[in-house]
Amino acid sequence: MLNELWSRVRFFFGSKQREEVDEEIGFHMEREVEANLAAGMSTEEARRQAAIAFGGRERARERCREERPSWSLELLLRDVRFAFRGLARNYGLSLIAILTLAIAICANTTIFSLLNQALLRALPVSRPDELVVLSFAGSFYGHHHSEGGSDEGHVHEFSYPMYRDLSDKNTALSGLIASVPAGVGVTWNNRSEAVSSEMVSGNYFETLGVRPALGRLFVASDESAPGANPVAVLNFDYWKTHLAEAPVEGQTLLVNGTPFTIVGVAAPGFHSAVWGRMPDVYVPITMQRTVQPEWDMLNDRKSYWITLAGRLRPGITLQQATASLNALFLSERRIEFPTLADTTESTRKAFIDAAHLNVDAGARGFSPMRDDLKTPLTIIMGMVLLVIVMAVVNVASLLLVRAANRVREFSVRYALGATNGQILRQLLCEGLLLGIFGAGLGLASAPAALAMLIRWLAHGSDGEQIFTATLDWRVFAFTAAATLIGSLVFSLAPAIQFWNPRLVDSLKQQAGTGKGSSLRFGKTCVALQIGFSLLLLVGAGMFVRTIQNLRSVNPGYETEHLLAFNLAPAIAGYPASGVAPVEQRALDAIAALPGVRAVGATNDEDLVGDGVEGDVEVSGYKAKPNEEYDVELPWVSSGYLESLGVPLIAGRMLNAGDTATSQKVSVVNESFVKHYFANAQAALGQHVNRPGNKNRASVDTVVVGVVGDVKHASVRDPAAPTCYMHYLQQSRAAGLTYYVRTWQAPQTAANGIRAAVANIDPKLIVNDIKPMTQAIDGSIQDQRAMAWLAAIFGGIAALLTGIGLYGILAYSTAQRTREIGIRMALGAQRGTVVQLILRETLILAGCAVGVTIPIALLTARAVRSQLFGVSIVDPVVYVSGVLAICVVAAVAAFVPARRAASIDPSKALRTE
Amino acid sequence: MPQTADLLQGTLDMLILKAIVNEPQHGWAIALRIQQVSKNVLQVGQGSLYPALHRLEYRGWIKAQWGASENNRKARFYSLTIAGKKQLVAELENWQRLAGAVNLVLAEI
Repeated sequence: MLNELWSRVRFFFGSKQREEVDEEIGFHMEREVEANLAAGMSTEEARRQAAIAFGGRERARERCREERPSWSLELLLRDVRFAFRGLARNYGLSLIAILTLAIAICANTTIFSLLNQALLRALPVSRPDELVVLSFAGSFYGHHHSEGGSDEGHVHEFSYPMYRDLSDKNTALSGLIASVPAGVGVTWNNRSEAVSSEMVSGNYFETLGVRPALGRLFVASDESAPGANPVAVLNFDYWKTHLAEAPVEGQTLLVNGTPFTIVGVAAPGFHSAVWGRMPDVYVPITMQRTVQPEWDMLNDRKSYWITLAGRLRPGITLQQATASLNALFLSERRIEFPTLADTTESTRKAFIDAAHLNVDAGARGFSPMRDDLKTPLTIIMGMVLLVIVMAVVNVASLLLVRAANRVREFSVRYALGATNGQILRQLLCEGLLLGIFGAGLGLASAPAALAMLIRWLAHGSDGEQIFTATLDWRVFAFTAAATLIGSLVFSLAPAIQFWNPRLVDSLKQQAGTGKGSSLRFGKTCVALQIGFSLLLLVGAGMFVRTIQNLRSVNPGYETEHLLAFNLAPAIAGYPASGVAPVEQRALDAIAALPGVRAVGATNDEDLVGDGVEGDVEVSGYKAKPNEEYDVELPWVSSGYLESLGVPLIAGRMLNAGDTATSQKVSVVNESFVKHYFANAQAALGQHVNRPGNKNRASVDTVVVGVVGDVKHASVRDPAAPTCYMHYLQQSRAAGLTYYVRTWQAPQTAANGIRAAVANIDPKLIVNDIKPMTQAIDGSIQDQRAMAWLAAIFGGIAALLTGIGLYGILAYSTAQRTREIGIRMALGAQRGTVVQLILRETLILAGCAVGVTIPIALLTARAVRSQLFGVSIVDPVVYVSGVLAICVVAAVAAFVPARRAASIDPSKALRTE
Repeated sequence: MPQTADLLQGTLDMLILKAIVNEPQHGWAIALRIQQVSKNVLQVGQGSLYPALHRLEYRGWIKAQWGASENNRKARFYSLTIAGKKQLVAELENWQRLAGAVNLVLAEI
């Protein structure tokens, strides 16, 4: 057995040469001739008889070759070589086909890699399928600190006491972990910077199964009494890029000015249990006061701020875990209920009866970021799939055109005895070769495209990039499948045409009229492509309009010459009492700079998608029963409204006379007036009270002014009712965002501001300093990326359509040479011939457009949530899409039409 | 010319193996030998002899060497390998069984 194998392997490589076989046969013949001579034949007769006895020598040789073990491979190689030659002979067409596929596959691989990372991939922890994510349904009262991703019935934030009870008393989970993201200031080697941190429970790393890269990670005992255990774990990337992989174990790092001991570094690749969070430093959750000095939430059952995830015990199902945890949750809620301010029956219903704890499978973790990205990425992926289908259809129609031009070649091959199977094999080979080249080129360019896309997505947004530029096996599998199916589809298209026992008849027919089935198929392809690309162009138009609208939205004030930056004294280690004075000093120092027209600050950054909301009590206003009305409650400095340029309608703005000790005042906007008062004048002098809670005392203000509405949370959202209060008159200090209206170029102004702040205290960090326009661009980054991608895909689609259309028309006009020749001989002008072909093309385009428009409307309706300020029947979008298609169709038709029109009738009539 | 019989599919291989069991032979001699021993009943189609030799060689049952023929010409001599000997034994057994079975049936009817 082994022997046989060995001999096969040997012969596989060292196959016998042709000469050897020849020599052997030659010897045989000689002996035969000799024998015949010996039998008394003449020399000639002896030779003749020997040849007769042997039979066909060439056939014998051939059969010897066929016995070779490598024969099947040789056959394949021959087919491939043949296909290769076939493709090379028509290199222009082959190149277009390969490029078409490569573009489609590159786009597919790139976008699918992002989709995969965002939507499909499990967390990089051990046994991710055991992870669950907790959320609850039911009303809650108090302070809610959310990073998004929560909705009615799925609130993802819990209080710390609730977490402790759920964690200690449950029997379904082998571990329940808590985590909260927070920005902190970190000082290392006397260099301060603002970084992301994550406050985590002691069992966080242990439960997730994350190993240390250095030192140790947290253990349960690290979650000790509040503020008692200042220890920190570093993220691997942060350690590598910011601390140069120093031996940090046991070293001290300042977090918000407080020394923390670094105990270790987490394993590379791990970021957080929540996808999208990119913390640099992990600290025990019990250090919350240090991380967020303005809040005290650890012991407060009414502060909802922690996201929870757990690991199921082996053998426990999701249902069992839900049942046992839910019972625990409800009993906790019953204990909490009497502490509520309002203990009426209706509250009880909402707080306990309607409450429920959800335990959901969480291999991918809870992620508000994923929720945000899901729709855009799915839409983009849909576009990519359309482009792929178009590419396949395109290549199919190109190959069909090519096959039609090779009718003669194939007829000759048939005549020489080629079987259907052989022809089919050749076509399949060509198709697969194209597929492989296209896929290879696409895959080869995908990493670069992905890296470029990620860099581009990151442009304008701060911090580390959540996407990594790695392609993984799923992407390869997906692409391989797409290519294989695509290759088969398009290589079979011409095969169907030739897979015809009565080929000769069909050939004759085709040559005569140019109306063969292949042409119908070709026209269907073109119509499909026109439809698809119109769909993509309309989509692209919608998103481009959206981005135009978002950029040109007037927030109610001038965004040019406005500079924004953050200054967080808490991060530089200022105690709570020192924050407000240093903020005032910074404001004064910047106001004194040359070129500064106005400066102001707010604790609620404008137009970046954030908001600080809450309820207020307004004197003279009778609330409707069960009314829940939240208003925006920014704390601002005097000068803030002026520096933005918010128009004053009645009363006065906040001014220097309003101090920490003077009468507490507020300024409200028109929307606020509309809800609470009859008119602007009626608002002046009324009281607006912000009720207090455990974290802050109530603040009772007198309305001194009314200002116009301006956009605040984001450019997408309309202005909300807003009550501006003075930041110095609040019970606690807050980190502020500063707005500087300046005459100078942004860079010059930024340098001046940095110098002025450094002059006050070099420890203060001027963070994120940028023009307001850039901040707005950053806040609509997702939409911008989407508009660009959509536009690119729309362009590719139009290009593909053009190529496909050109191919089909070039073929069909060539087929009609005779007909056109007759027309011209009968007196048709060149212009008439061009018109004839253009008209036919445009009619085809018109039909395709007619069918596509309703589909486009339906599609636009489905993606409405991603649009802004553009109607789904926006005429500009549709008209320009249709126009673009018509131009592409006309250009693609014009070249073959011109060629047809330049036919010499006398020659044309002689063809065929 | 005496009547010839068509070779049964697969029997050619066995006959070739048998023909070279004692000493290495070249192709022409093998054909001749089969013809002579069968008293001209079995005519080896010479066009199929060489493909069969090559097939057997690729399977590792026989091996070929260039040598001098009886009239001092360069010729390829085929000889059995160990695997070939085993194969011959197996094929002979198989043949005997088959032939016996066929004879039994023929005798009965």
